[in-house]
Amino acid sequence: MMFLKLAWLNIWRNRRRTLITVASVFFAVLLAITFRSVTDGVYENMIHNVVSYSSGYLQIHKKGYWDEQSIDNSFEADEQLSKKLLNNPKITYLMPRLETFALSSFADKTKGVMVLGIDPVSEKEVNRLNEKIIEGQYFESNNVDHILIGSGLAEQLNTKVNDTLVLIGQGYHASSAAGKFKIDGILKLGSPELNSNVIYMPLQASQYLYGAENRLTSLSIMLGKTSDLESSKRAVENTIDIEAYEVMTWKQMMPEMDQFIEADSAGHYIIIGILYFIISFGLFGTLLMMTFERNREFGILIAIGMKKRLLAYVVLLESIMISLMGCLMGVLAGILIVHLFTENPVQFSGSLREVYEDYGFEPIIYFSGHIRIFITQTLIILVLAILLALYPGFKILRLKPVDAINS
Amino acid sequence: MGKTIIDAHNVSKTYKETMVPVKALQDVHLHIEEGEFVALVGPSGSGKSTLLNMIGGLDEPTSGTVFVDGVEITKLSENKMIDFRLQNIGFVFQSFNLIPVLTSRENIGFVLQLQKVPKKDREKRVLELLREVGLEEKVNSRPGELSGGQQQRVAVARALASKPKIILADEPTANLDSKSAGNLMDIMAKLNQEEKITFLFSTHDQRVIEKARRVITLVDGKVDSDVVQTPT
Repeated sequence: MMFLKLAWLNIWRNRRRTLITVASVFFAVLLAITFRSVTDGVYENMIHNVVSYSSGYLQIHKKGYWDEQSIDNSFEADEQLSKKLLNNPKITYLMPRLETFALSSFADKTKGVMVLGIDPVSEKEVNRLNEKIIEGQYFESNNVDHILIGSGLAEQLNTKVNDTLVLIGQGYHASSAAGKFKIDGILKLGSPELNSNVIYMPLQASQYLYGAENRLTSLSIMLGKTSDLESSKRAVENTIDIEAYEVMTWKQMMPEMDQFIEADSAGHYIIIGILYFIISFGLFGTLLMMTFERNREFGILIAIGMKKRLLAYVVLLESIMISLMGCLMGVLAGILIVHLFTENPVQFSGSLREVYEDYGFEPIIYFSGHIRIFITQTLIILVLAILLALYPGFKILRLKPVDAINS
Repeated sequence: MGKTIIDAHNVSKTYKETMVPVKALQDVHLHIEEGEFVALVGPSGSGKSTLLNMIGGLDEPTSGTVFVDGVEITKLSENKMIDFRLQNIGFVFQSFNLIPVLTSRENIGFVLQLQKVPKKDREKRVLELLREVGLEEKVNSRPGELSGGQQQRVAVARALASKPKIILADEPTANLDSKSAGNLMDIMAKLNQEEKITFLFSTHDQRVIEKARRVITLVDGKVDSDVVQTPT
């Protein structure tokens, strides 16, 4: 307690210098938090957009499906399992899907396509698939012979709304799958690959077509944007029979996107690193001045019986106090700013808005309010404060009291 | 004969940092008994401060040995020496003795806290010491709010806090006016008489020298004379 008080009083010996140093830490932390919040927000939103159309954050399959993606490796939909999963508060939606392949044909044109049997209601709620319709309309719940197709595919097959498409494929356990389907709507999807290959049909229609009644190839799980992926995966694994099912994260299913984010993040870390590097000089300078101008006092304190390591400890406390003051103020201001922009996200306008929409992304800058961002900045500052106090501490440990007193 | 409290044998100190080595002390022998009130005098550069630093364990002699209260302090490790000082030796320097951000109470209490004295006992002892140096009304004053003489009296009170056997004072009156200097010396003499604390102080001031009962004169790092006198 005595040393805490002494350190606190010491940092205010030169009020102006301390305030300037605190301010520099404050602005660094605020900038870092805002920067991380925006970049993480953009990533989280990008991931959310991509996974809601494709894999979900997590996906449950029959064990072995991912290595051999065949309808024969589908599993029976289990109402009880779905209920158990939805009891987990981190899980926001479940999207049952039957993913298969077929040959599509219209007039004299044919093309291999991916057929996604989906629950029209949950897909509408999760990824607003209905809003991607550029012609026609979203299908009514579980209409048996109605489909939606990507605009790229429509172009290649030269079809339009209300045309009838023939699908031929292989069903469950090598049964034959063939049918005629009316195009209810044409979708423009963000991913060009998906856009030119995908056909959506109601889940029950696809199960009927492929002779796979009540069967699914995957159960996609949507989580809150900031939920921890690995702990959520473990929670799901604890709910299901892991001998019969496998649980995969989007990172496992789309490693290229994970690697892109990792590589892009490295650049951001460098920018924040430079920011903290500059701040470190200011803090270090203050600490050095605070230490060297008290050289004589240190000598006297050693003479009256204070151990050098206690002196070094006081200097460490001073460093931590100055840094944490700036840091906590920066975190508080950061929370306010992040809160302000999460409540009122920045909307893009003009051509930037169109570019975002073309790629299937919302034209909005999201701010991430993940607690990890705030904790990380606080820890970085704390570690910096300790590291920067090492040199003055080392000088104190080497101090010769006589030289210090005569200085 | 009283108990020997300071015993220095053949103490020499040579500073080699300069081009020409400086012999600050040369084969100094010093024997001081418990309860003595000794002035160390001599011209500037005669080695007074160096000798005090050797006795206080702040510096190491180039050769020779120093015993304080029977302990050969020249053999103690740095940390053990600091502990030894905390328990046995009080220091008063020429000026800027006190921690400027702490009050008189806190400056004196600091040493007691280093000794891990419980708070209740600490408070009692601090007030007792401030009363002894006549500054009980300045208990909550910071050094900046005290005169030079008052600061030195607080420094003496701090030096006394740990109930040391010896107080070493390096020109404690050098920055004081004659009245404050006389006042400080009277307090030191009274503490020496009443509490039998050994005082060894360096000084240039003739009026301060006259208060001492023994005067050791150093010239060129050697003991030139050692005289017992009747203080005025």
